[in-house]
Amino acid sequence: MATSTLTLNVNGTTRTVTVDPNTPLLWVLRDTLGLTGTKYGCGIEACGACTVLVDGGAEKSCDMSVTEAVGRKITTIEGLSPTSTHPVQVAWIAKQVPQCGYCQSGMILAVSELLKSNPKPTDAQIDSAINNLCVCGTYQRVREAIHFIAGN
Amino acid sequence: MNQIATPAVARRGFLTGALATGGGLMIGTAVPVSGRAATVTTKAVTTSAVNAFVVIGSDDSITILSSGAEMGQGVLSSMPQILAEELMVDWTRVKTAPAPSGAQYLNPVTHSQSTGGSNNMRSWFKPLLKIGAAAREMLVRAAATSWGVTVDKCTVANGVITNTAVTPNVSLSYGAVAAAAALLPVPQSPTLLSATTGYRLIGKPILRPDIPSKVNGSAIFGIDVRIPGMVYAAIKNAPLAGSTVKSVGAAPSGSQAVNLGDSVAVTGANTWAAFQNARSISVQWTPPAGTLLNTSAAIDTKLVSLIASGPAAVGEKVGDLAAAMAGAKQTVSMTYDLPYLAHACMEVLNATANVTATSCEVWAPTQGADLNLYTAMALTGLTADKITIHPTLLGGGLGRKFEQDFVAQAIKASQALGKPVHLTWSREEDFGHDLYRPVQKSKVTVGLDAGGNILGWNNRIAAPSVLQTHFPKYVVNGLDTAALAGATGLFYKMNARLVDYAMLNANVPVGFWRSVGESANVFVIESAIDEVAAAAGKDPLAYRQAMITDSCALAVLNAAATAAGWGTKPAAGHARGIAVYYGFGSYVAQVVEIAQATATTIKVVRVCCAIDCGQVVNPDTLIAQMQGGIVHGLSAAMWGQVTFANGAASVRNFNNYPLVRMPQMPKVDVQIVNTPGAPIGGAGEAGVPAVAPALANAYFALTGTRLRKLPLLLAPAPRYDD
Ligand code: FES
Ligand code: FES
Repeated sequence: MATSTLTLNVNGTTRTVTVDPNTPLLWVLRDTLGLTGTKYGCGIEACGACTVLVDGGAEKSCDMSVTEAVGRKITTIEGLSPTSTHPVQVAWIAKQVPQCGYCQSGMILAVSELLKSNPKPTDAQIDSAINNLCVCGTYQRVREAIHFIAGN
Repeated sequence: MNQIATPAVARRGFLTGALATGGGLMIGTAVPVSGRAATVTTKAVTTSAVNAFVVIGSDDSITILSSGAEMGQGVLSSMPQILAEELMVDWTRVKTAPAPSGAQYLNPVTHSQSTGGSNNMRSWFKPLLKIGAAAREMLVRAAATSWGVTVDKCTVANGVITNTAVTPNVSLSYGAVAAAAALLPVPQSPTLLSATTGYRLIGKPILRPDIPSKVNGSAIFGIDVRIPGMVYAAIKNAPLAGSTVKSVGAAPSGSQAVNLGDSVAVTGANTWAAFQNARSISVQWTPPAGTLLNTSAAIDTKLVSLIASGPAAVGEKVGDLAAAMAGAKQTVSMTYDLPYLAHACMEVLNATANVTATSCEVWAPTQGADLNLYTAMALTGLTADKITIHPTLLGGGLGRKFEQDFVAQAIKASQALGKPVHLTWSREEDFGHDLYRPVQKSKVTVGLDAGGNILGWNNRIAAPSVLQTHFPKYVVNGLDTAALAGATGLFYKMNARLVDYAMLNANVPVGFWRSVGESANVFVIESAIDEVAAAAGKDPLAYRQAMITDSCALAVLNAAATAAGWGTKPAAGHARGIAVYYGFGSYVAQVVEIAQATATTIKVVRVCCAIDCGQVVNPDTLIAQMQGGIVHGLSAAMWGQVTFANGAASVRNFNNYPLVRMPQMPKVDVQIVNTPGAPIGGAGEAGVPAVAPALANAYFALTGTRLRKLPLLLAPAPRYDD
């Protein structure tokens, strides 16, 4: 396996990694950088557990090679707020959204992106923007928490 | 087939141990907390294990351990909540942690540390109150002794003990006396303060302490465990269940392959590399001998013959069925079909093991810490005191993480490689090598009198047996009582009845799935009752109201119906269906409202659920469990199925296993019905079973067409890609 040394910008910090350049960003975050908040669910862009923000946009990190991430600003759940007080995180606690919690890093990042572009989404807009899988079935509370943030 | 490797002798030994300790009241001995000694010193803070569940720091930190597996149902909060009631501490200061494997943590009723069957609250409610009270009394006694006063001069609130014998009063915090308290004898009959004051915490929607870690990425699931010196590994399971490894080809460059007997573990520089290596390595397998029944069409044919005739084990027999049927004015007969289902936990199977010549540590998202211990003992030959199982958070369990296969593989790989191994299943392995919820056919024949009363009820169930493969000693004369769960002891008026079971012996691995036997049988019964109501010309609600003999069942039925506006005309193109059952110690009724979406599809608009689970510990968690259970039941009812071609599962990833997503989420409305003084019931599984029959019944109300086969496939599969 040929490795390359790449420089990444993760949560505002410059990180240098030496990995197979084809490695998906997900696994560099989790296994190389120890940022295990980003989760593996499917590896084929079908669940959203691995969602991170790339230059502010929600992206699935399981199907993006680490090479594609070079030169871009990566934000993981660990970097969303230094004090864990991003409005989505606050609302998630207030509304007790997570059950097992496994999908929630991806869910929270996807919602944070939605609210940036649309601070008061309707249910229909939430439905079309958020397609993360939550096997525990927290969807109703996700909706309630989004409306709570929006002040609806 | 993968089976649980539990040495019966060890199991019995632990059972006795649990009884001897009064189901957890083994207090005052050194108790390992996550593998650390009972008393440890960090940064000048001393922590003392007052008992097996309560660890108090000299800084007044309070940690309460939960012996339940936290898989989303909130047991890491609700068990400590019960204990904290009697410990008299400020809940906002309480931290909680999963208990390691240990005899002190065996469920006092099941004598196991496994979480399943919605059992924790039911078994632990009273013991946890006692354990909390005993710890409080030890702390008070330690304080009283230091003051030279009797305990009746002491009051306690929010983790502070006050000496009222002196003026002004003086106080000591729990943290100040914990070390002394830990040395005191354990009161065996502590006084429950809540018995006179009522509950302070229990029944309140308190915030779960595990949730903050689940919004900032710091929660540690099994897949997140990292141990110094560990290697990443992935699994390659045998394509055909029950096969053994014949030979293993060369490991891809830079990796190592370990022959585990029934599977192969392959290492990699990271998990992704290990996945690639496991996929590419060539392995020759020896398939199981004999003719295998592992193709869906052949399994179906066999089930058809099993329900038609032939021997069956009797699960319930009341009265003379033949005579009752002979006297019937009308007989209706229906056959229902249920598919194999996958668990599809959000977190794939994984485990981390570190085995040395003298020790074994395992970190796993497990529903069965005690079973993991027995597995580790059997594989390593080490005694229990040399083994520590660290249960982690579970990204869903659903019955799958009760199994031992993935844990055994990690232990064997660590043994072979001589270093810590973090083993992960790819999603494709997870779907393809599940122990599936059993397929089932049920034939229900009902004889009615002229008024629609049930004279005779006959339910022949044909299905594989989970008990046969997991706990064969509990299968007596071919009867798997778990397969009949929810099908016997019905609360409907019926004279003669016969419920029997014909075991299907197929070569597809089966296991427990959230809501177990009820997941299938409640669909059958509540569909059949609806059909009987229609045959009798009665409204489905009115018929149930007239036929139900149990006031608690009636109460939830009426609560759900009222919330749903039953009796008012639904909106144009809408219809409602209802179902009610008793299971896991709880009564649940659900009304599903659907809307015609296109000529051939429907949309589930709303689900009104009523539950009576007796004493509620945390109503917000209970509501969450109903919401989640309904989603789980709805996904399965709509689209859930796994079929097999020569043992190969049809499903390999979320792209062909449709599950409810945001756009398919109906509005869920939960009523909590309370029967004062009722025993505590379960919640984790209770929300699942009634959804499918209520949905099929709604479809009948909408269209006049009766659907007896799951999945219903009444809406397009949710999109899975952005
Ligand atoms: S792991 Fe990336 S979408 Fe599922
Ligand atoms: S909270 Fe468990 S999968 Fe979403």
